[in-house]
Amino acid sequence: MIFSTLEHILTHISFSVVSIVITIHFLTLFLLVDEVVGLYDSSEKGMIVTFFCITGLLVTRWIYSGHFPLSDLYESLIFLSWGFSLIHMVSYLKFKKRKNNLSAITAPSAIFTQGFATSGLLTKMHQSAILAPALQSQWLMMHVSMMVLGYAALLCGSLLSVALLVITFRKAIKIIGENNNFSFSFGKIQYMNERSNVLLNTYFLSSKNYYRYQLTQQLDRWSYRIISLGFIFLTIGILSGAVWANEAWGSYWNWDPKETWAFITWTVFAIYFHTRTNLEGVNSALVASMGFLIIWICYFGVNLLGIGLHSYGSFTLN
Amino acid sequence: METLLNPSKTPNLFIPKTHLFKLSFLHSNFNPQPHSSFNRRPLSITITCKVKTSQGRKNDGKNISKKIVLTDSAPELSNEEIKAKPKGGGKAWGVIKKFPKRVLAILSNLPLAIGEMFTVAGLMALGTAIDQGESPEYYFQKYPEENPIFGFFTWRWVLTLGFDHMFSSPVFLGTLILLGTSLMACTYTTQIPLVKVARRWSFLQSADSIRKQEFSDTLPQASVSDLGVILMGAEYEVFLKGPSLYAFKGLAGRFAPIGVHLAMLLIMAGGTLSATGSFRGSVTVPQGLNFVMGDVLGPTGFLSTPTEAFNTEVHVNKFYMDYYDSGEVSQFHTDLSLFDMNGKEVMRKTLSVNDPLRYGGITIYQTDWSFSALQILKDGEGPFNLAMAPLTINGDKKLFGTFLPVGDTDSSNVKGISMLARDLQSIVLYDKQGKFAGVRRPNSKLPIEIDGTKIVIVDAIGSSGLDLKTDPGVPAVYAGFGALMLTTCISYLSHAQIWALQDGTTVIVGGKTNRAKAEFPDEMNRLLDQVPEIVESSISKKPDNIGG
Repeated sequence: MIFSTLEHILTHISFSVVSIVITIHFLTLFLLVDEVVGLYDSSEKGMIVTFFCITGLLVTRWIYSGHFPLSDLYESLIFLSWGFSLIHMVSYLKFKKRKNNLSAITAPSAIFTQGFATSGLLTKMHQSAILAPALQSQWLMMHVSMMVLGYAALLCGSLLSVALLVITFRKAIKIIGENNNFSFSFGKIQYMNERSNVLLNTYFLSSKNYYRYQLTQQLDRWSYRIISLGFIFLTIGILSGAVWANEAWGSYWNWDPKETWAFITWTVFAIYFHTRTNLEGVNSALVASMGFLIIWICYFGVNLLGIGLHSYGSFTLN
Repeated sequence: METLLNPSKTPNLFIPKTHLFKLSFLHSNFNPQPHSSFNRRPLSITITCKVKTSQGRKNDGKNISKKIVLTDSAPELSNEEIKAKPKGGGKAWGVIKKFPKRVLAILSNLPLAIGEMFTVAGLMALGTAIDQGESPEYYFQKYPEENPIFGFFTWRWVLTLGFDHMFSSPVFLGTLILLGTSLMACTYTTQIPLVKVARRWSFLQSADSIRKQEFSDTLPQASVSDLGVILMGAEYEVFLKGPSLYAFKGLAGRFAPIGVHLAMLLIMAGGTLSATGSFRGSVTVPQGLNFVMGDVLGPTGFLSTPTEAFNTEVHVNKFYMDYYDSGEVSQFHTDLSLFDMNGKEVMRKTLSVNDPLRYGGITIYQTDWSFSALQILKDGEGPFNLAMAPLTINGDKKLFGTFLPVGDTDSSNVKGISMLARDLQSIVLYDKQGKFAGVRRPNSKLPIEIDGTKIVIVDAIGSSGLDLKTDPGVPAVYAGFGALMLTTCISYLSHAQIWALQDGTTVIVGGKTNRAKAEFPDEMNRLLDQVPEIVESSISKKPDNIGG
């Protein structure tokens, strides 16, 4: 009894803290950051509190139900928001000196997934259920946790690419509008990217364009690193799932909708890596944005169908 | 850029002794001496040249010789893709020999590979959207010609292209095979030479070329050997030659993509072996009965050959289930004994869902269960075995039922006692009018009186649903999986290269990395901060930081 109340308390605390953090973030973004460092610090601390709350929530659920908290859709959504706050923590700890753009992506993602999970749609799943025989295996921990962490990282990375596209397209329209003499096109910007940094100072007219360029560069590099990490997790997740399927059902690949869509996601991000070798920037960001949609289809859309071997995660909207 | 020409032995071509070719950075343009005799025929010349790659000019001691085969059209050269063998004489033979080269060049084209990957992804998505494995009438109904989806998609598309069995259709398999050959071609032509280039360490001789790197900096009062020591402390491999220095770290990150591609090829090979060489079958065996493995297993492809173990006889000793307190099923178990042809018991094991039995290359999995028969005593007589039939309901909860006729069994409207069960735990009984009469558990042996008949439920006999499989491709596939996981992790490593040149008392440093571009400047700045400053005066030693 005490565990379930503890669980409730932790859920509500983490939800409210994340909403406060996001409000603070939007305020700092609009009020032009640098003066309000104190506020920024408190938002970082808020995210740390959220991380610990969600961890506590998962641990409580684990102890209470006796199995690893990843057996149905509700638990995997909570795990996903935990994944987002974990990514946020890691990037915060690694880059203490500089301000981190990443929190603008991870915090809202965490709150949206958590909000959806705790919302009225899935209330009947909140109680921990018992595991079906096929799920009683050590592989459950590794396969599902790797997949969900992989989704979290890939979602972050593809959101960064979407941000990059938004900024680049706004910039292009503005530049072409502003100054017809120079008539920049993307090709030129990318071409210069491969040359030395020295040229940048002479080409850009205003410091505003230069800072935007720095921002897109940074976004591109961040998204590349995070997507690489997510890709590793996704690979390990898919392969451990295949080995588990071989142990439990007799065949390592069944062209089950969920497996197929996970493979499609893997392929799309493999294309992302292959489009990066020659040109950096827009092409790969487009592929990563497609990847964002595909991950949601893979994670959520297939569950709505409710068929196939992966039907544990299904639910019906009523 | 100068080249020397060493003519090879080609008897029917007249080739002048020396030529001077100018090869610029990315493309070649060569001016052959005008000789009408070989303007039309393919030249066969071996050229030894020093190619300037992006890493700077090689030292004198290091001479790459790349052999280039020139045809009568302008050759396209890219730095790492030059690979050719000297041709023999004769035009027809030359064309045949050239064919694999051309095919290889076409296949290892990157945009083609990207297109193939997109096609594979699209076909898979289509395969999940279209219901697989249904009868043709289903598709006639779902994709009618009168009302085509998107204006053109009818059942004709589905059936002729094989989309109803997408994952074994020729279209899909053909695309996969094409992707596999592209992988092989790309690994052979692009990746392996890349490894050779990356492994070579090269020194940059001029300060300008160092300054042109992605990250570059200048240290006014420093020595290049101090820098070398600091880099060694940071786990770089450092090479020092006179005033210039070259260091690198994380070379494994360059090799790992090759490993990824090779692992994928291994998985594809293993998968092909599985698809063509395995045996599969499933059987539902009531408790107490036997079956022979060979009767149940059927081949899946043309490479399937049965083994001696197929003669084993399997006997189901007991089938039982575990339940949670709430009544839900928690696990199924089957106790099996295996007997060989002579009747000797060779193995005995209890299977459950995540715990299969392996014997002689054959694996038996517990996948399903069923209710075979209900054993009852009627009015003290018996025991009678009533066969239980599955009743279809929605969802994956099962329901079985049987019927015991009471009274006049020849009349058309026979009445009797119905018994329903969801699992082997408890049986629900209904009387002649269909009214609920009671619940009994098989091990309780309590009688129940229904319409004057005394029924005792003696036993609920279940049957075990087993899947059998033999798969020769599994070792290859597992090896491929392991290799893929490992090499994907390793390819996260970033290959960083640093060059430095001692110019008087200043050291010019430049570096680049292929993956961790965001963190690289920070790391470099941290390292350079540690390089001690050499102060001219003899008094003091150094402060520890240096401005760049």
